[in-house]
Amino acid sequence: MMGRFKNILLAKLFTRFPKLIGRAFAKVSPVNVVGIPWAPFQKPLNESIIAIVTTAGVHLKDQPLFDMKDPDGDPSFRELPSATPSHDYKITHDYYDHADADRDLNIVFPVGRLMEMERAGVIKAAAKVNYGFMGHITGRHVDTLIKKSAPEVAARLKKENADAVLLTPG
Amino acid sequence: MGLIQREIEKAGIPTVSVSIQRRFTEEVRPPRAVFLDWPMGHPLGEPFKVDIQMAVIKSAFKALETIKEPGTIIDLPFRWKMVEDLKEII
Repeated sequence: MMGRFKNILLAKLFTRFPKLIGRAFAKVSPVNVVGIPWAPFQKPLNESIIAIVTTAGVHLKDQPLFDMKDPDGDPSFRELPSATPSHDYKITHDYYDHADADRDLNIVFPVGRLMEMERAGVIKAAAKVNYGFMGHITGRHVDTLIKKSAPEVAARLKKENADAVLLTPG
Repeated sequence: MGLIQREIEKAGIPTVSVSIQRRFTEEVRPPRAVFLDWPMGHPLGEPFKVDIQMAVIKSAFKALETIKEPGTIIDLPFRWKMVEDLKEII
């Protein structure tokens, strides 16, 4: 419990004093990636179905919370339906201060804005299902994320005919 | 976020992310990103500021349409809480 309290306190400090972030993460070992994947965006935007993937720790109130006790984070994901009213969502994430996002989910998970764009004809549609992760994945769970949960979400998005994906952090 | 983005792009779906931590984004090398020097927990700006939230999403979509070079990060010229920076887009 003390660990969680410390993380929440740090998150508040980082939000107020962003310069501390660089210092805090200076020792985090870099992730080595090879190359840059590329899928050209060829459809017009107004013919495209757009999905959101957020790492802000957003989930439905009746879904399991993200695990805040594992220091390597929680690499699992949650389905976030676009039609769900925002008061049925909550955020579990101790590593950033989500007081503002609790008031307006759109600042980390802009599904309301996407629905408005659908109504205005800017995009063809907001995807029926979006996906929520908790950021702050480190250590052994980087592998779980890259090898298991992220490819699974990618496969689902493909099956659900998403034409493009917008990613938003916490 | 960037690692998940890379896996989605690998599956053949074009992606764009909104970054507020440029160092991490540079390190993970996602295909397309827009960057804002804004506080954690606020990638789309402030609560209930619909115009600003829309401006960020529209800028991200523009990046999706225009970036041709994999790994491009576009620095958006929007300063934190400076609505005047958004004049041209909203």
